[in-house]
Amino acid sequence: MTVRHYEDRVVTAFLYCAVFWALLGMVAGVWVAAELVWPTIDFGIPALSFGRLRTAHTTLVLFGFGVSALIATAIYSVQRTSHVRLFAPGLAWALFWAWQLAIVLGAASILAGWTSAKEYAELEWPFDIAIAVAWVAFAVIFFGTIARRKVEPIYISNWFYGALIIVVAMLHIVNSLALPATLGKSYSLFAGAQDAVVQWWYGHNAVGFLLTGGFLGMLYYFLPKQAEQPIWSYRLSIVAFWAFVYTYIWAGPHHLHYHAVPEWVQSLGMVMSLILLAPSWATMVNGIMTVAGAAKKLRTDPALKFIVLALAFYGLATFEGPMLAIKSVNVFSHFTEWTIGHVHSGALGWNALITFGTFYFLVPRLAGVPLYSTRLANVHFWLALAGTMLYVLAMWGAGVSQGVLWLSLDDLGEVRFSFNDVMAAMQPYYLLRLLAGLAFLAGTVLMAVNLAKTFAGRPTAVAMPPAGRRA
Amino acid sequence: MPARFSLLSLGKILFSPAEAFQAVADESPPASRVFFRFALWIGLLPPLFAYVGTTLFGWRLGVEPVFLPQPTVIAICLAYFAALLFGFVSSAVVARWMAVTYDASQSLGRCLALMAIVGAPLAIGSIVHLFPHAFLNVLVLVPVLIWCMYLLYRGLPVVLGTGPNRGMLMASALIAYLFVAFVSLLGITVALWGSGIGPQIGT
Ligand code: HEM
Ligand code: HEM
Repeated sequence: MTVRHYEDRVVTAFLYCAVFWALLGMVAGVWVAAELVWPTIDFGIPALSFGRLRTAHTTLVLFGFGVSALIATAIYSVQRTSHVRLFAPGLAWALFWAWQLAIVLGAASILAGWTSAKEYAELEWPFDIAIAVAWVAFAVIFFGTIARRKVEPIYISNWFYGALIIVVAMLHIVNSLALPATLGKSYSLFAGAQDAVVQWWYGHNAVGFLLTGGFLGMLYYFLPKQAEQPIWSYRLSIVAFWAFVYTYIWAGPHHLHYHAVPEWVQSLGMVMSLILLAPSWATMVNGIMTVAGAAKKLRTDPALKFIVLALAFYGLATFEGPMLAIKSVNVFSHFTEWTIGHVHSGALGWNALITFGTFYFLVPRLAGVPLYSTRLANVHFWLALAGTMLYVLAMWGAGVSQGVLWLSLDDLGEVRFSFNDVMAAMQPYYLLRLLAGLAFLAGTVLMAVNLAKTFAGRPTAVAMPPAGRRA
Repeated sequence: MPARFSLLSLGKILFSPAEAFQAVADESPPASRVFFRFALWIGLLPPLFAYVGTTLFGWRLGVEPVFLPQPTVIAICLAYFAALLFGFVSSAVVARWMAVTYDASQSLGRCLALMAIVGAPLAIGSIVHLFPHAFLNVLVLVPVLIWCMYLLYRGLPVVLGTGPNRGMLMASALIAYLFVAFVSLLGITVALWGSGIGPQIGT
């Protein structure tokens, strides 16, 4: 066979799994949200207890849904921006199976009570090693494809995907350094304040390079595709990239304000977080101007709606973030639901919406037929918007109430309200958040049905690199 | 002769917004009319309701009610009014600024009227401030707010005379501005609070 078509079947496979993990992860999210309203619905089963299920939620949505979606779109776009078939497709399939297996077993291990007690890196050392190996495979496939590219410049989306691969490898390996004691238990090499700083260097840059950088790669490829218009300012995108990479790395200590880490480290984290607003917003402006420039010829398309709204939430999250990093705001917001609201304005409004938009764009192309139902997609859009808004507003309300209650002192200057009082006051907000989660989940179910009906058992369509450019 | 844009058209604005949007598009009311015959007055409602509610029932954050001294309540309500007016006018100005990019109408009157119609349900909904129980307020105002966002998406293309696609894009861009304005306000408030300016939360 001399035909060297793009390797898209593995993209389809990752995409299916991403949708599956999104559904499962959100069900877990809805369940933990419900546990905060009705604490007894863990039925005394340890695997359903809040601590374990919450960790399962974050693991499934971040690494099951988020990373599968990122790998799918990276593989799809790197071939098209390089005009070559994927490097080592066999390895890509191995990566696919390894990753999905790691998520299945990893989630099971968390429910069974294994944890390294490091947030967003709870999986124990056997998984850490497996993930590191799988990640190297991802790097080989991705950079191998870039090395064989038929176009001289490396397109901007690949810079972001590339940064995702390199930085996450670095973070993951350093933060996971530990001495194994048994198969299911290890002890971190870091202790005390050092451990905290390393952990949040990891935590924040996972947010930075995975939830932000990786998804910006998605944005930079799929937004101009969708708008049929080149990026508004290519130069701005490159400048913003380097500013972004340089600044993010230093911002982690804003998670440790007023904790037992040196004062200057906290201040550094705060200043770097404020500077971070500039590259974050440069990208948003670039995206908005790209679609605005193409507005005249755009067709009404559900995919684009999701992507554009995602940009608005991206603007919110990256504005709110630097603000929360200011110490005089953080003294109020830290430990409150405000943080959770910030997380989900990013996670739902930005990460999930842009992925949904990308999937609505991608699936008709992978299946070679139009989307099964535009109407369902439009209903999904409103459910997603309403769900996200309701979530964020409920958490703002809860967070501000919590902050006020905790800072209230009585006549003797003692804390006026006990933890129990404050938790009881949160009940109504938790109920609202549960509704928000259900609406968001319902929208995701509609999407899953819509995408499945579009595929309807069809094989992935065959697409070829542009003729004449092939070696 | 259809009613011109004023408080008298409040019923239409609330209950058949589509007609109200069309009327603004046809009539293109001057900015001063929108502001003085409509926006200023409905903008007074939330701080008024808040004043009455806070004085009568105290703030309820879910635990026991908090009563504040009269001068503090008045100061807060005035600040609230100022913030609302600022939000209203600034979003209309931002809309007008964005209109260049999206090929939409740059009439300030239309932009103000758009924001007024979109914001009207919130102003009326703020009647729940009469009982300033935090959760009750969230419960009522959040659905109203989502309705307002829907109105923005629906109304913008009509009022500013741009296509549905460009309207959708511009509405999203405006929403981004509104988010940022709101969250800044929240941040400034708590930062001031934390540094001891504003109502005493202790004692
Ligand atoms: C310029 C960009 C951003 C900055 C400076 C920033 C800053 C912050 C700050 C200050 C906190 C609260 C720390 C605390 O009090 O504990 C936080 C929490 C968080 N942010 Fe952001 N944020 C940004 C963007 C984003 C985006 C786009 C996302 C995407 C989803 C995100 C996800 C998170 C998460 C998951 C947490 C919770 C961490 C935890 O478990 O405590 N952030 N961020
Ligand atoms: C149906 C949708 C969802 C619901 C109902 C939901 C619910 C929840 C709940 C109840 C928590 C625990 C909050 C607490 O401890 O107070 C949580 C945490 C978290 N969720 Fe979700 N979630 C949803 C979707 C998502 C998605 C799609 C993502 C990521 C892409 C995500 C990322 C996170 C993260 C990172 C945290 C940890 C935040 C922190 O520790 O600061 N969630 N979620």
